[in-house]
Amino acid sequence: MLTKTNKVTGAGIKRAIEARDGRALASFYADNAVTRIVDRNNPPSKPREIKGRGAISTFWDDICGRTMTHKVDVTLADGDQMAFTQACTYPDGAKVFCIALLKLEDGLIVDQTVVQAWDE
Amino acid sequence: MLLGVVARLHPSSDTAAGRSKAWTDPQTTAGRREPSANALTPIPSATSPISCYTSPSLVSWGRQVRIAVTRYALSADARIAYQAVGHGSLDLVLVPGFPSNLEILWEDPDYGRLVRRLSAFARLILVEPRGSGLSDGLDPRAPPDPRARVDDIRAVMDAAGCGRAALLGASDGAAQALLFAATYPERTRALVLCGGYASFADAVADARRLRAQAEAGEVAWGTGATLARLAPGRADDRAFAEWWGRLERLSASPTAALTQMRAAAAIDVRGALPAVAAPVLILHRSDDAHVRVEAGRQLARALKEARLVELPGREHPVWLGDVDAVADVAEEFLTGERSVARGDRVLAALLVARVVGTSGSQLAAGREERMDLFREAVAKIAARHGGDARWAGAERIDALFSGAARAASCAVALRETANSLGLAISQGIHVGEIDPAREPLAGEALEVAEKIAASTRQAEILLTKLASELVSGSGLQFRDRGSIAVEGLREPLAVVALAAERHLEPINRGKAHAADLGVLSAREREVLGLVAEGLSNPHIAVQLGLSEHTVKRHVANILLKLDMPTRAAAAGLVARRAAQ
Repeated sequence: MLTKTNKVTGAGIKRAIEARDGRALASFYADNAVTRIVDRNNPPSKPREIKGRGAISTFWDDICGRTMTHKVDVTLADGDQMAFTQACTYPDGAKVFCIALLKLEDGLIVDQTVVQAWDE
Repeated sequence: MLLGVVARLHPSSDTAAGRSKAWTDPQTTAGRREPSANALTPIPSATSPISCYTSPSLVSWGRQVRIAVTRYALSADARIAYQAVGHGSLDLVLVPGFPSNLEILWEDPDYGRLVRRLSAFARLILVEPRGSGLSDGLDPRAPPDPRARVDDIRAVMDAAGCGRAALLGASDGAAQALLFAATYPERTRALVLCGGYASFADAVADARRLRAQAEAGEVAWGTGATLARLAPGRADDRAFAEWWGRLERLSASPTAALTQMRAAAAIDVRGALPAVAAPVLILHRSDDAHVRVEAGRQLARALKEARLVELPGREHPVWLGDVDAVADVAEEFLTGERSVARGDRVLAALLVARVVGTSGSQLAAGREERMDLFREAVAKIAARHGGDARWAGAERIDALFSGAARAASCAVALRETANSLGLAISQGIHVGEIDPAREPLAGEALEVAEKIAASTRQAEILLTKLASELVSGSGLQFRDRGSIAVEGLREPLAVVALAAERHLEPINRGKAHAADLGVLSAREREVLGLVAEGLSNPHIAVQLGLSEHTVKRHVANILLKLDMPTRAAAAGLVARRAAQ
């Protein structure tokens, strides 16, 4: 289990995602954080839920293990809420686009909802 | 670039019976579809769905099935076709057996279901093995080269941006997955082997049988003849066998099929097994018609970290037969959790009961003791009414029933039991779709039932109007209780309370007594007499030589004149008059 945490900033998220730095990404989450993913395979009534910083860390390790490019374009912050968009491209040209909404507590992510779409 | 997706209507059903009914050879209507997509050219006219049914009535069975975009990876000098489906964080590479054609396989509902299940939790990368379908061919003169196949998998993973992936190897693909895991341990997260084997000669067919199979294959390739060997249970399904023939033809020419068969016959990866470090799940159908289950057991013994699961069935291709069982076990192995398959929602009557207080303080036993007795009784009472009750917390019961009347009767019994124990409960009943496998139960319909339960007066049983309307004929009666607002619903929900007593006449008897049969015409009295005898409109029509329509009009007039809500009430009136 990771113990190091870092307060989230838009620039920090952008840097970590674009550098595919799973460890840095995991450090932005609170221990009991929940990430909810909504996409074509995980509809809004049954989103895929990743609970806890350990599982979220594995999730980011998996994503960062892919040789793809990520670009974080828009980051918005409003008090304890934050949002960003992420455009990704696989080596074969397939693209993914995500929008993530974050709820923060003491500067750490406690709740994240990701909506994503991709070329298939 | 955004690539198009070919949308097609496709028959699909989750039951074997439905499947055989819905199955139609798409060749006859949709025409032969050549592989046309590649990563550089968008598919034209991708939006209009094409029906592949011969009978338009079957369209209602269908749902849209997508075919993923086919891309090509370059492995040495060969192009290897693949498709990526879904976008889970885990990469799962599926290496199939033979025959295979990545675009034709989508036409089979079972294949579509397996892909859907696996791609719900993973990014599923479907590989077309060299020598099959959309990938480059094998040189019939060159000796089989298992290393080249391993490189093909790596090339696809590189092209798709996979770092480490789990591999699902089916049939001959299992040996390739094992060899890959031995060669690239750092890129292998886990292996799932389905109907796999390490040595063909040992597990599948000896030289003599192989020769016979090759000879038969040479003559019959393309007719669907291999189906009898790979999935004998489906061989009698003519439409499916014809489609299988099409799959054979589009996966290889007879020469290419022979070359594939020779390559498979040369498979022997026993030497590589000690080098496989990744955790392995071995799935083998216990009556696999092509590769004996013993082959799976041998693999499990030879591998360091292997778990063997034998599933019932005799289909060899992993995408035939009970694909849900395969997906369930694979998902649990790869993600650590088993998801509930989608579409498992059923229509049910839902009862939420809440213990809200005590009603008999004079009882000697303490509340906790009485609660224990009640807890013990609840499951039995629910079961007696054909229901399934589960405690959700210390004071709340969620129960599922196949009908609203059963739920209501159970609620009455629960109230009686609670009363006798000096406990007060409030209960709400609603009908709606719910996933019964979910623990704890959840869903919008249950929330409505809970909301209703929360709004009841002590000891009352409230139902949504919708639930109460389903019990007509049960003898249960209700009183309107206005409506309540439920979050998430646009309109307030009309609710009714279960009447305390059961009787067939309307509750307000006063009017009925006042009614005078004299207001009826002679014909109407005649009709009413037959209604009172319990005859239906068609019967009365026959008896009186009238049309059914006329009888209906008479009955409507009778009820209007007597100010009666139902024919049963009118019949009751006649019965009482006769008794007086």
